[in-house]
Amino acid sequence: MESSPTTRYSLLARLVQPSDEQAWREFMEIYEPLIYRQARRRGFQDADAADLCQEVFQATSKAIERWQARPDRGAFRPWLFQIARNVMINTLRARQRQFNATGASDARRLLEEQPAEDEESRLLDLQYERQLFHWAAEQVRAEFREATWRAFWLTGVEGQKPQQAAEELQMSVGAVYIARSRVMARLREKIEAVEGSNRAE
Amino acid sequence: MVSPRFSCDLARLKLALDDRLRDEAHHELASHLEQCDECRTQLESLAAGREWWRKAQSHLATRTNDDVTRDAFAADSRAAQQPLGRLPWLGFLAPSDDAAFLGRLGPYQVSDVIGAGGFGVVLKAFDPALNRFVAVKVLAPHLAASGAARRRFAREAQAAAAVVHDHVVAIHAVAENDGLPYLVMPYIAGCSLQERLDRQGPLELKELLRIGMQVAAGLAAAHAQGLVHRDVKPANILLENGVERVKITDFGLARTIDDASQTQSGVVAGTPQYMAPEQARGEPADHRSDLFSLGSVLYAMATGRSPFRAETFLGVWRRLCEDTPRPIRETNPDIPAWFAEIVETLHAKRPAERFQSAGELADLLERHLAHLQHPDRSPRPARPRRAKRRRTRRMLGRALLAAAPALVGLVIAVYAWPAKDPDNEKTKSDQREQVAAALPVQPATIDDEPHARIADWNYFDSELAQAKREIAEVERQFQRPAAGATVPLAISAEAVDAEAEAVARRWDEGMP
Repeated sequence: MESSPTTRYSLLARLVQPSDEQAWREFMEIYEPLIYRQARRRGFQDADAADLCQEVFQATSKAIERWQARPDRGAFRPWLFQIARNVMINTLRARQRQFNATGASDARRLLEEQPAEDEESRLLDLQYERQLFHWAAEQVRAEFREATWRAFWLTGVEGQKPQQAAEELQMSVGAVYIARSRVMARLREKIEAVEGSNRAE
Repeated sequence: MVSPRFSCDLARLKLALDDRLRDEAHHELASHLEQCDECRTQLESLAAGREWWRKAQSHLATRTNDDVTRDAFAADSRAAQQPLGRLPWLGFLAPSDDAAFLGRLGPYQVSDVIGAGGFGVVLKAFDPALNRFVAVKVLAPHLAASGAARRRFAREAQAAAAVVHDHVVAIHAVAENDGLPYLVMPYIAGCSLQERLDRQGPLELKELLRIGMQVAAGLAAAHAQGLVHRDVKPANILLENGVERVKITDFGLARTIDDASQTQSGVVAGTPQYMAPEQARGEPADHRSDLFSLGSVLYAMATGRSPFRAETFLGVWRRLCEDTPRPIRETNPDIPAWFAEIVETLHAKRPAERFQSAGELADLLERHLAHLQHPDRSPRPARPRRAKRRRTRRMLGRALLAAAPALVGLVIAVYAWPAKDPDNEKTKSDQREQVAAALPVQPATIDDEPHARIADWNYFDSELAQAKREIAEVERQFQRPAAGATVPLAISAEAVDAEAEAVARRWDEGMP
């Protein structure tokens, strides 16, 4: 309860380089619903779940300070997402276990801890990946004409035969093939841009 | 097969993916694809590997919130999505002509975000008319959506504007832009007392007297105008750079948030850590509520931490209403007894037992400061006479429930400790940790205080279900003690139904 949206906002405003702003925004769009849902699934109340999101953002922004001070720092985005994953897993765990553990000093500890590769974190990764696909789909959808998008959705997601989709959309079967591949390529690009190129493969 | 081999052209497939084929080439490729399996496969793997296609299908076909109870999630999703911390949040700014600024609000050129709170965002802006920097506080759009909150914001801001005092942040203007009300204040370079405490911990006695005295004087000026602050806390006390001057900010704004939360679900008012108990109980606040909060601020300056701390909103709430904070001198022995006594008086649960005016307190602090600085010239002030104090009885769950039936739905208390401990203290504490780690509900401290969780009335059903699960889990733990347990454990858990004001279920196992 100690932290407030204040911290979250001002840290963002202060820490983030303008060039990294986009990465941050994406990070929050993807992570906030993810963390929130994970927390609710674990029985957190709404307010506690919201707090947890904040904790993750806060711990992550603290890490950014240290990252920015590093002379050998690499690309911001992959780093950010890796850190966020660790923080999320560890925070969720810690909060679930120790309702009475206190203090911001925990944030630092949470950061350094590497999450164990167990069933739980694999599940979390799956949820994350799912969230990422949904987010990317939402982002790129507007770039396509409705028919193009539908061609992808009907065949790629709902599993319709291209012939069937072609009829429904009144386009040629070949055009359906092109359309669905175009959308898929964009989806992949979008996700890779966030993730670095090797995660989903 | 009419498809000639030369149509199979990798470069053309790439162009197609980028949507860079002209219409006729596009048609040509489309009809080629209908016949050429090879090119189809090629195109699809150019777009993305097989694994990508598989994942896209399995992920996108699954709704992301399917794994959360739909109703519960739907009810809260609006609150969760409240984009308090997102950058697009500055969307209400008009573009600025000058690229050096983030945007424009009315006549003000916004250069920076200073901070944000429950009520909205604070911007640093340039006032071209007066050629100076100002701080602009904008009511959050989700609050501005409530007419009551908007009107209150404007009214409180105007009331605060009437207070002219050295230790109160002046309000230059109250205005509205596109339905978003904002107020304009001088830009104060410096930090808040909260930031100072976070950085430096407890303050020196002289300094904390100086700050406390100025805050009390500022409050006295506002109280004289009939204005109650309602949210006195270190974050609302600004320390100006360079000069040792303190300014109180955010008069009356706490009420704006109250108004909005009555009309819109999902708006959570801030932490009650510095509230007075009567405020926490939803009773009317008066100037003596500010004095209670000032007591908490003095306490925080002396010890580096707020007096009523707990992990949860409810924990704080319970402590506020029931507990006496840990004595200041236990944390910081350098603090004299008379100071601790002043804070204790301010912390009286009953307003009538506190100081009765901020002016009286400011005066007392000033005389103590004078005595500290010139012991020979200024006598040490006598102890003020107070209304006779009733000893605050520590109340337990039931009484607490009775105090706020509207807020409270359910209390779960879990006690766990090794029963009949043999003489080995080390084993005992190890054991406690093991038990603590194994329990789904964490006892606040295993020795005495139960972990109590109080649910909002609206969550009664889901909370009750959750409680049942947790208590069942405790039962299971009891039957199957934590690995390595060598000492029999005692666990006691109870679920209190507040509506019936009765213990709904209870376990006492292995109790002496």
